[in-house]
Amino acid sequence: MITVNINGKDYSAEKDETVLAVAKRNFIYIPTFCHNEAVADYGSCRICMVEIWTKKGKNKLVTACLFPVEDGLKVETNNERVLFIRKNIAELLLAKCPASAEVAEIAAQLGVYETKYRIEKDGNKCILCALCTRVCDEVVGRKAISLVNRGINREVAIPFYDNAAACIACGSCVYICPTNAITMTDKDGIRTITMPNCEMKFALRKCNSCGREWIPEKQVKYFLSSAPGLTIEEFDLCQSCRK
Amino acid sequence: MEKMTNNMQNYNVFVPRIVDNDEPYSSGHRGCVGCGEVLAMRLVAKAIGRNAVVCASTGCMEIISSQFPYNSWKIPWIHTLFENSAAVASGIEAAYKVMARKGKIPSADISVVAMGGDGGTFDIGLQALSGALERGHDFLYVCYDNEAYMNTGVQRSSATPFGASTSTSPAGKRRSGQHAWKKNMPSIAAAHNIPYVATACPSYPYDLMEKVKKGLAVKGPAYIQIYSSCPTGWKCDSADAVKVGRLAVETGAYPMYEIVNGQVNITIPTPEFRPLKEYLEIQRRFRHLTEEDIAVIEERLHKEYRELEEKSKCQNK
Ligand SMILES: Cc1ncc(C[n+]2csc(CCOP(=O)(O)OP(=O)(O)O)c2C)c(N)n1
Ligand code: SF4
Ligand code: SF4
Ligand SMILES: [Mg+2]
Repeated sequence: MITVNINGKDYSAEKDETVLAVAKRNFIYIPTFCHNEAVADYGSCRICMVEIWTKKGKNKLVTACLFPVEDGLKVETNNERVLFIRKNIAELLLAKCPASAEVAEIAAQLGVYETKYRIEKDGNKCILCALCTRVCDEVVGRKAISLVNRGINREVAIPFYDNAAACIACGSCVYICPTNAITMTDKDGIRTITMPNCEMKFALRKCNSCGREWIPEKQVKYFLSSAPGLTIEEFDLCQSCRK
Repeated sequence: MEKMTNNMQNYNVFVPRIVDNDEPYSSGHRGCVGCGEVLAMRLVAKAIGRNAVVCASTGCMEIISSQFPYNSWKIPWIHTLFENSAAVASGIEAAYKVMARKGKIPSADISVVAMGGDGGTFDIGLQALSGALERGHDFLYVCYDNEAYMNTGVQRSSATPFGASTSTSPAGKRRSGQHAWKKNMPSIAAAHNIPYVATACPSYPYDLMEKVKKGLAVKGPAYIQIYSSCPTGWKCDSADAVKVGRLAVETGAYPMYEIVNGQVNITIPTPEFRPLKEYLEIQRRFRHLTEEDIAVIEERLHKEYRELEEKSKCQNK
């Protein structure tokens, strides 16, 4: 057990915990976009910036989601310096994602309603947090999507922009995306997953009893190949028709 | 926020692993085996998180979760009377506001959630709820609708659906179960001009959690009514808690929708209905119903669904 001081109050913490974890447990609000417990932290959105002072006298701004606590660490989450930098990050994100309600919401919390920077691309919602690619890799284990290119051309893509071979249409990326930049719809027997720059389509399998389309064929195939002992009959009936 | 679509129901296998691990409501409570209501409560707790206060009116959910020393709640929780959880929540919300104003707490940004069963909401708690909604307190009211007074032994409430047999609306020679139609409580809540009203069901967990988060995010009162299966009162198989919820939605018996600032959105559209019989036949509370009875109920439910659809269409224009 070590002691960390956040905003003037002492809290006990475990070694190797992050500042964000300690703050969260103690109801100290730090905004985040690219953090999710299920995947390793990545520190790309920068909105969780806080100021720290170590015992040895080091003082700097760090991302709360990545910085590990140490004994005697002093943290401020809301001081002038932090807010100044956080507001600037919010402005940068607003310029990057003019169409995202979530970015606008967190910016508004900081009192930021417009940006002095040039809007990169109208209608963009993706903040390039890589949660989708990380979840596809670390949780689903498919690595179907990744971030490609550099600088202002960086984006989420499937290999060569047209190869959806590894995707099993599970929807994890849709669910985890903090800005709803990826969407999924099931219609007329086809599941469509729309990424910021490409679209993937998957045939859905029908239930033998009620005829509803309920699971992507590719997912069935994947389960059959990855779980020995599973038979195709198990996918004959949808959740509601199963006894 | 616009995340909620009809395919919330179709996430599977991997998505549960992305949902927050924290469980503010712990296992080891005293609910019946297969209780859908406590499943709903666990999901609600997950969605509200730890920075919250819960006020619960008397009913199954209060009894099973709070017996000393086996409390299941890891967040502040207060038991109210049967009729006044909305009133107590109003007081808590107002108190936090004052404390924040006087600088005693850093911010009033604490989620206040009132909970009650259908009896505690549709019947005895209605006036407290109406008052709280009308005064515009910033809180969320969650009604767990298991369609009767289960905790005291399955007496009918105004949420009991037409035809259901309960101990005070028994099916016999003269009467075939509940004689009145279910009260349209979401409409009553929406008539208070509150920003958010929704129905939800634990068989669609992501949809439910998303709705709770939305209800907490809006400024002002929100009302969420959660369909909660009860194997004990409905006399259905305890393994069917999830299935019965899916069938309720797919047969049109319990449509899933939300009313955001007066606009109706059907969140889990049912373009084609399953036969209502599939839903009724797995619950013994409906076993006395004849084919004709079922046809009458089915017609009414479909009509209600179409009305909802019309409303959602005309406003969405
Ligand atoms: C004023 C008052 N009247 C009656 C009761 C007895 N009582 C306790 S729980 C309950 C039924 C609760 O039904 P409901 O609100 O539907 O919740 P459920 O148990 O079904 O979850 C009743 C009648 C009471 N506690 N207080
Ligand atoms: S699509 Fe969504 S999850 Fe993926 S990088 Fe962009 S914002 Fe993040
Ligand atoms: S009686 Fe019904 S609602 Fe109450 S705990 Fe049992 S199953 Fe749940
Ligand atoms: Mg009840």
